[in-house]
Amino acid sequence: MNNKKNPLSPHIQIYSWHISSLISISHRITGVINIIALTFISIWISSMLFGATSYELTKSILNSFIGKFIIIGIIWSFNFQILSEIRHLFWDLGYGFELKISKITGLMVIFGSFILTVLIYLGGR
Amino acid sequence: MVSATKKWIFLKASSVILVPLMMWFVINLAAIYDKSFDEVLAFFTTQPSKFLISLLMIVAFFYSALSISEIFEDYVENQEIKNVANKLLYLFVIIVPSLTIFVIFKLSL
Repeated sequence: MNNKKNPLSPHIQIYSWHISSLISISHRITGVINIIALTFISIWISSMLFGATSYELTKSILNSFIGKFIIIGIIWSFNFQILSEIRHLFWDLGYGFELKISKITGLMVIFGSFILTVLIYLGGR
Repeated sequence: MVSATKKWIFLKASSVILVPLMMWFVINLAAIYDKSFDEVLAFFTTQPSKFLISLLMIVAFFYSALSISEIFEDYVENQEIKNVANKLLYLFVIIVPSLTIFVIFKLSL
């Protein structure tokens, strides 16, 4: 039966967000962001073919506020994906399915990704 | 072996390789992104970073092809659009890493 008047479920306005659903959708979004980021990194590497003089423009973009914001964003997105992937790998081994543990590891992914981003960015300075 | 099982094994094997590679990459990205042309060029064209960045490109794009095709499977209803989207995706994940590796080797000459 195909009734288009049926309400969609879960309705976005009344849907109660949980750690698990937040991590799940963020895992997918950061996965797509990472592949876009790697494509830009590929363009960055390719831009070096034009030589040192042309690279000055790339360098000035990367050193601008927007450039730094993008680099920090990429580092966070990669960190989120790394931690979330480790969580998935533990699930595949049969660990961490209990509700309490799952919530704790979910929070570890969220907060850990921000902490790692700060540490890695400052470590690189 | 069922194709879905094969796909799952490829996805997991590539994610095991990707975790340390991505960590290595972000640490180095934070250190080199604002450096001079010569320093960035030296990073991408000397070993072991030359090998590791090439491996990262291959495995990351392979992993993305598998996982983004799952997103198409979940959200794209029309079979024809899904097939076209998958073909374009596979073309993209072959071309971008191949070109990047070619550029890295050309820069090293």
